[in-house]
Amino acid sequence: MKALILVGGFGTRLRPLTLSVPKPLVDFANKPMILHQIEALKAIGVTEVVLAINYQPEVMLNFLKDFEAKLGIKITCSQETEPLGTAGPLALARDKLMDKSGEPFFVLNSDVISEYPLKEMIAFHKSHGGEASIMVTKVDEPSKYGVVVMNEATGHVDKFVEKPKIFVGNKINAGIYLLNPSVLDRIQLRPTSIEKEPRDYITGLRLYLESLRKKSSVKLATGSHIVGNVLVDETAKIGEGCLIGPDVAIGPGCVVEAGVRLSRCTVMRGVRIKKHACISSSIIGWHSTVGQWARVENMTILGEDVHVCDEIYSNGGVVLPHKEIKSSILKPEIVM
Amino acid sequence: MEGSEEMVVAVIMVGGPTIGTRFRPLSFNVPEPLFPLAGHPMVHHPISACKRIRNLARILLIGYYEEKEFTLYVSSISNELQVPVRYLKEDKPHGSAGGLYYFRDIIMEDSPSHIFLLNCDVCCSFPLPDMLEAHRKYGGMGTLLVIKVSAESANQFGELVADPNTKELLHYTEKPETFVSDLINCGVYVFTPDIFTAIESVFANREDRANPLRDTSFESLYSSTRTSVPKGFVRLDQDILSPLAGKKQLYTYETTDFWEQIKAPGISLKCSALYLSRFRATAPGLLASGDGTKKAKTVGEVYVHPSAKVHPTAKIGPNVSISANVRVGAGVRLINSIILDDVELKENAVVINSIVGWKSSLGRWARVQGDGNYNSKLGISLLGEAVTVEDEVVVTSCIVLPNKAINVSVQEEIIL
Repeated sequence: MKALILVGGFGTRLRPLTLSVPKPLVDFANKPMILHQIEALKAIGVTEVVLAINYQPEVMLNFLKDFEAKLGIKITCSQETEPLGTAGPLALARDKLMDKSGEPFFVLNSDVISEYPLKEMIAFHKSHGGEASIMVTKVDEPSKYGVVVMNEATGHVDKFVEKPKIFVGNKINAGIYLLNPSVLDRIQLRPTSIEKEPRDYITGLRLYLESLRKKSSVKLATGSHIVGNVLVDETAKIGEGCLIGPDVAIGPGCVVEAGVRLSRCTVMRGVRIKKHACISSSIIGWHSTVGQWARVENMTILGEDVHVCDEIYSNGGVVLPHKEIKSSILKPEIVM
Repeated sequence: MEGSEEMVVAVIMVGGPTIGTRFRPLSFNVPEPLFPLAGHPMVHHPISACKRIRNLARILLIGYYEEKEFTLYVSSISNELQVPVRYLKEDKPHGSAGGLYYFRDIIMEDSPSHIFLLNCDVCCSFPLPDMLEAHRKYGGMGTLLVIKVSAESANQFGELVADPNTKELLHYTEKPETFVSDLINCGVYVFTPDIFTAIESVFANREDRANPLRDTSFESLYSSTRTSVPKGFVRLDQDILSPLAGKKQLYTYETTDFWEQIKAPGISLKCSALYLSRFRATAPGLLASGDGTKKAKTVGEVYVHPSAKVHPTAKIGPNVSISANVRVGAGVRLINSIILDDVELKENAVVINSIVGWKSSLGRWARVQGDGNYNSKLGISLLGEAVTVEDEVVVTSCIVLPNKAINVSVQEEIIL
């Protein structure tokens, strides 16, 4: 079975992190985002994954070679020469996706993080005999997204309404599709674009960790210094007197010194958090350091190799890579 | 002059509760003159400077606070310095010269040859012995301590012009609208007892002015803005210094050390730092030091009251004063701050550019900070008495009135 992952864009919404790596390679819960999806696909028997990309293909390809070997799954790329939106890439990848078997194939948006009930989706698809199945999910505020109006009993899709002004339904397009090859015949090769609301990275982390908790995953950290759901890479070190969590992911090679408080944040590979610092609701990019007694909060995003000096306060600073922060950021601002 | 019996009396004007409103919310608990700078009440600094005057007979504090506010302090400082210190309560404000005149009998009890007059809200090095010596040489009725400041800030004070050779005070004007001079009045004076005669003549001239036929008094030359003044109210600056300038009665002594007027809590933090760094030279034993092994690491000048407990993993300074019974927990960081009595700072809390009021408490990883701009209203964070800041909460550039609990982070607010 095959799958297409729509990697596409520049990942501008995840800047400054995506200034250093392409969006699919940004770590999420200590694993590149795209790896979550590839592993889930492999688990249900997908043997070949096609990545539709248009940006930094060299970086992606290098990375993928590693995975091909480790996971035993074939990974190829389909490169857009111009942005084709979300449907266009399917047409572009047509040759790679079509094969004699006539089996349906998966299509995933690359920034979707979910519990991936792919097996169930296959069963559902076979049972209704239609051309396409779309995974939908229920949300509280449907008008932010594309709403799928459907027959609740049969699952038959009536229509799509993009960001409806009045309530038409509360199921939205979750970005995972299972398509029969015949769908490809319907798509012409020209730019088509679909807007998509970005997921909140921090909220996504919380949901992901929650789902790990439900599965009683041993991956979650335990200890008197841990509160709630926390993921700590085995190569990371945590000092004494810390309080970590809830909803924290600490990546490989990180050093968290004594007396540190972390909550609702992601600490990426190679980061050092110095003594007595306090970080909440923020993302600390690869190889950055946060100084002693520093305070980082309110959606502060540090790009790669950012160094926050001792005692500094950052309230929502968005800091581009390779910067040193020597004075406090009192209100959300971008530091170039 | 050696071995002469000439006694000197020092008078410190401490003001009263109406002046103290500028020190809210800290003045809710303690009269402004007793607010601690560098670990000691504000009035302590001029008082201990007076102690350096030879033949000092007594120190008198004059103000219109209730007597009971000063009883304890006055008796303990008299004891400590072995010099009589007494608080005299005015029944109502008399102005800086009027207050002096009102208590002239007590001041003149020991027939002093010289009288120092200091304002409590002045922060400086008080070079009183040098000033007295200069005054004796000038031979005038009074000598003012003066200092050069930046031209832009000069008009907040009394600007004066002095003869560069004789140092005589030639011209004096209070808070002028146009630039007169960058030399200003520090609010520290030494007088001979003739000052009382000068004040008396102010009263006499006022009565004369009530007589419409009399118009040649020097008061009337300057009095265009002065209409009705309460009876007995005499201001030193407008009523004495201005009129007597240029008449070979008043002289100036210039200091090049620091000088500040303590007119708001933010400035008190700056003055506390100035006094702390002065201790480095004059009383280094008062300052704390540690390297983080047995005692907490200190940076720059730090005062820690002997009864305070500071965890060895905390890092304190520069410019920090910690008052009695304070508990500083593990991993706490304090920079440019005053921590008042009985405060508790839990683990890893941070205080920067702030004043934390008596009995307040900061939770773990709590943070109270200001931007350090002494002149802006919210540049220094102020927590009144018994304020609680919960774990991990950040208070930035706020003034918090007493007995509040802050459980969400706040920025740039006055919290009633």
